[in-house]
Amino acid sequence: MSNFIPLPTPDPMPLPAPLWLLLTLLLVTFLLHLLAMNFTVGGVFITSLCSLRRKRDAMAGQLASDLLRILPTSLAFTITLGVAALLFVQVLYGNLLYASSILIGAFWMAVIPVLIVADYTLYYSKSHPNRTGPLWFSLLLLLAIGFVYVNNFTLMLTPQRWLEMYRHSASGLNLNWSEPSLVPRYLHFMLGAFAIAGLVVFVVGVWKRSTDYGRWMLRHGSHWFVAPTVLNFVVGMWFLLALPRPVLLDLFTGGPLAASLIGIGMLLPLAAIVHVVLAARTEKTLLHARLAVATALLTLVVMVAIRQVVRSAYVGSFLRIHDLSAKPQWSVIALFLLLFVAGLATVYAMLTSYFGKSGGELPAN
Amino acid sequence: MNYPYWQIGIPGGLLIGCVAVLHVFISHFAVGGGAYLVLLERKANREHDEGLRAYVQKHSVFFALLTLVLGAVTGVGIWFTIGLVSPEATSSLIHTFVWGWAIEWVFFFVEIAAALIYAYGWNRMDRAAHMAVGWVYFVAAWASLVIINGIITYMLTPGRWLQTRAFWDGFFNPTYWPSLVLRTGMAVVLAGMFGLITGLRVASPVRERVVRYAGMWVLLGTLFLVLPARWYFADFPPEAKAYFATVLPAMRHVIDAGMLAAAVSFVLALVFAVAKPAWLRAPLVAVILLCGFVVIGSGEYGREVARKPYVIANYIYSNDLRLAGFANFGTSGFAANAKWIDRSGVSQQAQGHEIFLMQCGACHSAHGYRAMAPRVQGWDAPFASEMLLHLPVMRGTMPPFAGNQQDRAAVAAYLASLSPPEQRGTAAADLGRLVFAHRCSMCHTVGDKFRPLAMAGTDADTIDGMLSQLDILNPEMPAFHGNDAERKALASFLASGAAFAGTR
Repeated sequence: MSNFIPLPTPDPMPLPAPLWLLLTLLLVTFLLHLLAMNFTVGGVFITSLCSLRRKRDAMAGQLASDLLRILPTSLAFTITLGVAALLFVQVLYGNLLYASSILIGAFWMAVIPVLIVADYTLYYSKSHPNRTGPLWFSLLLLLAIGFVYVNNFTLMLTPQRWLEMYRHSASGLNLNWSEPSLVPRYLHFMLGAFAIAGLVVFVVGVWKRSTDYGRWMLRHGSHWFVAPTVLNFVVGMWFLLALPRPVLLDLFTGGPLAASLIGIGMLLPLAAIVHVVLAARTEKTLLHARLAVATALLTLVVMVAIRQVVRSAYVGSFLRIHDLSAKPQWSVIALFLLLFVAGLATVYAMLTSYFGKSGGELPAN
Repeated sequence: MNYPYWQIGIPGGLLIGCVAVLHVFISHFAVGGGAYLVLLERKANREHDEGLRAYVQKHSVFFALLTLVLGAVTGVGIWFTIGLVSPEATSSLIHTFVWGWAIEWVFFFVEIAAALIYAYGWNRMDRAAHMAVGWVYFVAAWASLVIINGIITYMLTPGRWLQTRAFWDGFFNPTYWPSLVLRTGMAVVLAGMFGLITGLRVASPVRERVVRYAGMWVLLGTLFLVLPARWYFADFPPEAKAYFATVLPAMRHVIDAGMLAAAVSFVLALVFAVAKPAWLRAPLVAVILLCGFVVIGSGEYGREVARKPYVIANYIYSNDLRLAGFANFGTSGFAANAKWIDRSGVSQQAQGHEIFLMQCGACHSAHGYRAMAPRVQGWDAPFASEMLLHLPVMRGTMPPFAGNQQDRAAVAAYLASLSPPEQRGTAAADLGRLVFAHRCSMCHTVGDKFRPLAMAGTDADTIDGMLSQLDILNPEMPAFHGNDAERKALASFLASGAAFAGTR
């Protein structure tokens, strides 16, 4: 009984698309969600920090209110892009995710009201930029949501823990504390979010470096990128070593892909740090800023790829998504792709019309 | 059973209902409100009415705040809830309709972008472009309804999909079109109702104009609802229609409440918005919105109940068990195959409780919502075990019991433990009524619509004779469980023709 693993059998219906398409869409939408989430959570953190210094430092106050103008919008897109990733992960890993969601059901369900409160608090802060309390409150709520997500997406990988957890609480008052990689994984994500939001501030600073405010953003943005990224090397190492031994072995012995991804994943952020520092310290600001953005974005791409490799290593012994049969719904897929392109074109046209007249400033409302 | 049962003290179906009704309420407003905004903006532009334009701008911010946060996140909330409560059905929906949802997501994405640009773009876009964004919003919002409507109606009437398993057969199912028209009408009504909220907060004379305009949306929308509502119900599965007509008085009350609420909001809108807009006050708007909520709630509740005993008709039962392979439980047992049930030496009653949660917990609780305790009053374990064989014919149209004799005995032991102790010393005259309540009323009434027993005029001895061989007279019925005195008292009660309609 104690060794029994209550693994739900995958859905009897075939996959409605070829695996490569579903996997690609899962990883791409997750990457986009990650970008939006990073900017949002990191942005709220930076805004909270700045709002503390509002009285002493006018620039900090300016940045706080500038960020607040766009943070509710970026939260809206974090949610929207997350919905897409959640859709595709259910197709491929639904049998694992539903079970783990139920096991932490109380916390998982709480994400919804907490997110609603966090979102409205953020809107409140936007119209009351002088109050710091609500900002910290929404930051706390967003960080809590991230923690629940990390819990669920690690727990879904370890069904051997499920039954014991279900006996402990069938109401879903569980968290995945027994997962050694839980805390470093969470810290890794959140520090990354802080860094990416810092990078955005840095880039806007580069863009407006002819002004005092621009140079202030450039300098502070570079710090907010570099400090958490350096820290993330340590946390990342902790994360890697906290992975279960078989997973770790699989990563380094399971073929050249995984090991080289990890190698690249360490070099790229190093390069990003160097370019950010060079952009801030040398004359070739624009060139290094571009390289910094490129290497940072590539870092995220590689991190998402590593995450998938780690996931496959975790679940390899009990779920092989390559073995799932597929019966593609081509007519609907074609319609989706068509509408997707039309949708992007529409959004592009609306944005052009919106930003067209005033040369790309942040929304003024 | 594949997935663990999430024990939260209330049936999961109730939680889904709460989240869904809130979402549906706001999301229909999000559809109709788009047209409301842009049509009113056009009116303001044409009439060069800057006061009206200022109102529309204000309303657009309220609109974005409500739909983009509460509307959108409760939509995600439905995903979360159905995954927690009915994972098997959710997985099935995902595998059938993931591309439908992907398309809906495209519209959702466009919708959010358009709503934000519209709300922020009042003073920075030229008027034609701004209105165009408004139209983009409305078209995208309505298109997302066009998509999700296919998935929702599929669950009630999967139609040819059951044979072909083809996306479009499930999508364009028998109730697709009436439901789409009905929901579009509801979106118009709600656009008007929410328009009253902001309309009340602007100064005269714009206030009166807006309130009257919003009131007209409520009136015309409500009138428009009448025909598609009939069309929609006409296309319901025949079993569902029969069920609505006879089974649950509570169900009829919910539908009646919905119609009454529509009528009340119609009259209030007619008097206080269209005829005398100056009389409109906040509490009245609250009542009108509450009516809208009741209409939406009763419609959704009706649709969910009509689907019983399925969550996806003829494919997955409301307790998340698939029809396919159902018979296997009878031979190999339910508990023996359920992955999450504790089989390590727990008592029969405890085991029964676990099976109860998995098979009945989506709709029933022991003492709370749709409580079992009053329903099993007077039951002993042997009777409960026998009744479990007849779940589909009972009041409530339940899925059949999944399991073998051992499983049934376990659940029966649990159910019997819920039954409150019998009150002894009941007067003979009342005993018959009591026995009827305990033994017959889950499937029969006397003098009411649901499987009426019209036995007045038959003498008590004949009835007594019939009671002794119920299971032979009709295999759908259990044998009579009870002693001689109880049987005779029941026979006299039935012979007397006294009415008994109440559900327990």
